[in-house]
Amino acid sequence: MNRVVVTGLGPVSSIGIGVSAFTDGLRTGRSGISPISSFDASGFPHRNAGEVPDFQPERLLRRIDAARWGRSSQFAAAAARLALTDSGLDPAAVEADRVGAVVGTTSGESVVVEAVTAQQVEGGFDQMDPDLLGQITAGRLAHAVNTELELTGESLTLATACSASNYAIGYAYDMLATGEADVMFAGGADSVCRWAHAGFYRLGALTADACSPFDRDRSGILTGEGGAILMLENLDQARDRGARIYAEVLGYGLNCDANHPVAPDRTSIAECMRMAHRNASIKPEDVDYISAHGTGTPANDSVEAHAILDVFGDRVPPVSSIKSMIGHTMGAASGFGAIAGTLAIAHGFLPPTINWSNPDPALDRLDPVPNTARTAAVRVVQNNGFAFGGNNAIVLIGAVE
Amino acid sequence: MTGVVVTGWSAVGPAGVGRAALADRLAGAQVAVPTTDGRTVLAEPAPATPVEVTTLVDEPLPTLTGHARVDFDVRAHLGRKGTSFYDRATALAVVACGDALRDAQADVNDTNRARLGVVLGTSLGSFRSTSGYTRDTLVQEKPYQVNPVLFPNTVMNCAAGQAAIRYGLRGVNATVATGPLAFLDALRYGSNAITCGYVDAMLVGAVEEFSPHRAWVTSLTGRPGQQVPTGEAATVFLLARTVRPDWTGPYPEAEILALTTAYGPGGGAAADRALTGCVRRAVRRAGVDPIEITAVLTGETEPDDTDEYVPACAALGHQPTRLRVSRLFGRCDAATGGLALATFLAAAPAEAAPTLTLLTARSPDGGTAAAIVRGWFGAGASGR
Repeated sequence: MNRVVVTGLGPVSSIGIGVSAFTDGLRTGRSGISPISSFDASGFPHRNAGEVPDFQPERLLRRIDAARWGRSSQFAAAAARLALTDSGLDPAAVEADRVGAVVGTTSGESVVVEAVTAQQVEGGFDQMDPDLLGQITAGRLAHAVNTELELTGESLTLATACSASNYAIGYAYDMLATGEADVMFAGGADSVCRWAHAGFYRLGALTADACSPFDRDRSGILTGEGGAILMLENLDQARDRGARIYAEVLGYGLNCDANHPVAPDRTSIAECMRMAHRNASIKPEDVDYISAHGTGTPANDSVEAHAILDVFGDRVPPVSSIKSMIGHTMGAASGFGAIAGTLAIAHGFLPPTINWSNPDPALDRLDPVPNTARTAAVRVVQNNGFAFGGNNAIVLIGAVE
Repeated sequence: MTGVVVTGWSAVGPAGVGRAALADRLAGAQVAVPTTDGRTVLAEPAPATPVEVTTLVDEPLPTLTGHARVDFDVRAHLGRKGTSFYDRATALAVVACGDALRDAQADVNDTNRARLGVVLGTSLGSFRSTSGYTRDTLVQEKPYQVNPVLFPNTVMNCAAGQAAIRYGLRGVNATVATGPLAFLDALRYGSNAITCGYVDAMLVGAVEEFSPHRAWVTSLTGRPGQQVPTGEAATVFLLARTVRPDWTGPYPEAEILALTTAYGPGGGAAADRALTGCVRRAVRRAGVDPIEITAVLTGETEPDDTDEYVPACAALGHQPTRLRVSRLFGRCDAATGGLALATFLAAAPAEAAPTLTLLTARSPDGGTAAAIVRGWFGAGASGR
């Protein structure tokens, strides 16, 4: 089995595009939340989201024509381009068919689906634009990465909802560990859209202005968007080419609640953590920081925190949620969590949970790294991702020993 | 070799529910043909006649016919409890998962359900569910007047999640969304989960539902002058290691010898090369003589539609019988590859010798995939 390391990071986020801006955003506890501009939100009681209004695909993309690809594909391709640049890898130095992409998503090309639906409402089914219909499939998210970077290896889109980036990182890890590939671009992408905004509102899971995970008075998520891609390669290759190695992917765990379509399950999530620890050959006491799923809904944060307490006992590492800063970026969420965890190891700091005011008495053993980033030596990070459908996925990232 | 076998399967679609329904339809279409030297080879049959589908939908349709199971009623198979909010794709997939477990004679219980997972392929989940939800945000008096209970249906992992709930599948639960490639990608994903030891068995499948939304996509994006009927199906296969726990089913009837994938940026000639490379690698990994591959099942439709067959033959060095799955079953997008494997397993009679087949898939953007499967026909069909 090859060891697998992270050598390139590509965040396209509401708190920064590119690794240095994103790192700065995490360190300063920046909020990426703004009034929704990508659709007319005037009829909604809640009108804020973590959009990326500064995203100008044509400034980041070199090969693909943005007009031919939906917004989520653009996020994925731009994030992968940033990760490649960050890695310093010369693409000519590796065999292109040994390089692939795995992209996770919740809603795929949701903006394109909404555009053709508006045409359908306006003029009937036969008025849907065939060119847009050619852009609706979710497989294009990974295909956009392969096309942009001219990768001729794997091109896989995993649609396991809000833990999809962790699935993608896990699958990429397997491909590299087993020698099936030499380099993999893995992470996720999603776009802010009306239907998710409406659905979360009606579920009672959407908050108004600020997402405050683990706070006593937390009241829900804010939808967010972006692209989060990590470049992974095997350790020997990274050393041979003299790469800057951020961290190592130690392993991952997946399981399924098989219980309820939307409500998380404490026992099952705790089991997923144990499974991830076993697969990564670590013990709970090795974990220095947990990048939480931490959506900011009363239910998720309570269930997640109690599952953490079940597994970690009387030694609970700091647990923070970057969703407080960027909102819930859906399929990209655990990709951003993995990037944040990687940066925590590389730079020795804990990203904060912002908007935090009051301790939750039910979670009194939890340290949410409130409001301000903290300097800390971080050797092992646990990155949590949970989803509708009971799709739990947890990735362990560690300093390279 | 992947060392992974199929111990049971199901197809739910126009022919009905289960392997027998599909086998009957294929027998009528004479897919399996005896040769003079006593073997049986696959032959390309005439496509079935599409049926009138107007009773399925209230919305206008581009054509009045399709390859759909018009009388499919999820309650007849699973009852009313827990199924009332399923969309059609979820219903087809959940029924197929249950039938595949039954077909395999799998014994799923609390001692093993954490070791059993499911991976399903799709294009974008239920286009009807997502588009309908968006539509409500546009046409209701207030944009948030959507039904919260239907919200999970807008997420692409709905079918896999519901299958897990219905049958208590606590292992790896995944959804791959690569359209025409999705079934072969699901096979790769599922086989990897087994060979890496994350689970002992995986239900691997793919699903597409008939809906006005998909019918219009077929109509508006198809090749001019060549209207393919829109099809629907869910196909699900239970996979486990060759050496496997008893509960995963007693009768292996096919072995997945090789699974490969490659991308040709921009499609066209780059994708031709990618697919040829895929097939070449698959042959090498399977350790077989390409001349033994007697049939190729592709996602193609028309006789002049050869963008899978020609690159595949370039790698094989000969021209095996071709079965164009989209010609047989209509445009089934993600479900196409699953129908290919189901056709291969359902087509031949019980006495036939083991046979090798190649499955191929290709997406418009340049994605390609190939699988080589060895079937022991009749290896478990009796008594199922």
